[in-house]
Amino acid sequence: MRAIGKGSLASILAVGLHVTRIILWIALGGVAIAMAVIPFVPFLVGAFTGSDHVDINGDGGIELSDFFEVAYAFVTFAVMLFVVNRLLEILKTLRFGSPFVKENADRFRSLGYALLIGEGAKFVFGFLSLVFDADIDINFSVITWLAIIAVLVLAEVFREGARMKEEQDLTV
Amino acid sequence: MGISVKLDRVMLDRGMSLTELSERVGVTIANLSILKTGKAKAIRFSTLEAICKELDCQPGDILSFDEQ
Repeated sequence: MRAIGKGSLASILAVGLHVTRIILWIALGGVAIAMAVIPFVPFLVGAFTGSDHVDINGDGGIELSDFFEVAYAFVTFAVMLFVVNRLLEILKTLRFGSPFVKENADRFRSLGYALLIGEGAKFVFGFLSLVFDADIDINFSVITWLAIIAVLVLAEVFREGARMKEEQDLTV
Repeated sequence: MGISVKLDRVMLDRGMSLTELSERVGVTIANLSILKTGKAKAIRFSTLEAICKELDCQPGDILSFDEQ
């Protein structure tokens, strides 16, 4: 399989990432709307049902834990969108035949940091879920942490690769 | 401080243009321009040899070490 061009793995990945980006934008928009609306749900329910009193802590009502669950989904989608955007930018440089540039090293590093923030957010929201009894899964994944380290190592490899490429380009 | 390139001065002394030197040495004008403007990070022995041969000079005539 070719590295670049039509039918290459890079182009297939780019198509997949573009589709994922659209889905993530829709999901992020939906979650953002949900976040904005949740605090007003008891009042909206009250307005539509004509009831003066809506128990926001009741089983059928909106609880603070629901807000945390939606906020966690928002952070997760935002991190995923950030990662997808950086990957698309990296693939773009590959398409133009110059992936070993300093910018890609920075992109990989920011990608690693974003994943780190995503994992950190998982623990923060996990703690909040214990306090407010929200339904957030906080399982510790060794694979995820190894992936974060791998991405950060890759960033440094790309930085050295970019330096070598520059030296190669400026060798007469 | 660093290595400075005096290729333009030697070329001027010999009355040779960048295009002519490029054709004789077999290095692209773009690469010779990089060398001439001091942007080059390294020079191959083969390139230096070819330049010295065509300009009838020594490597020291093209390259010099500046303290400042």
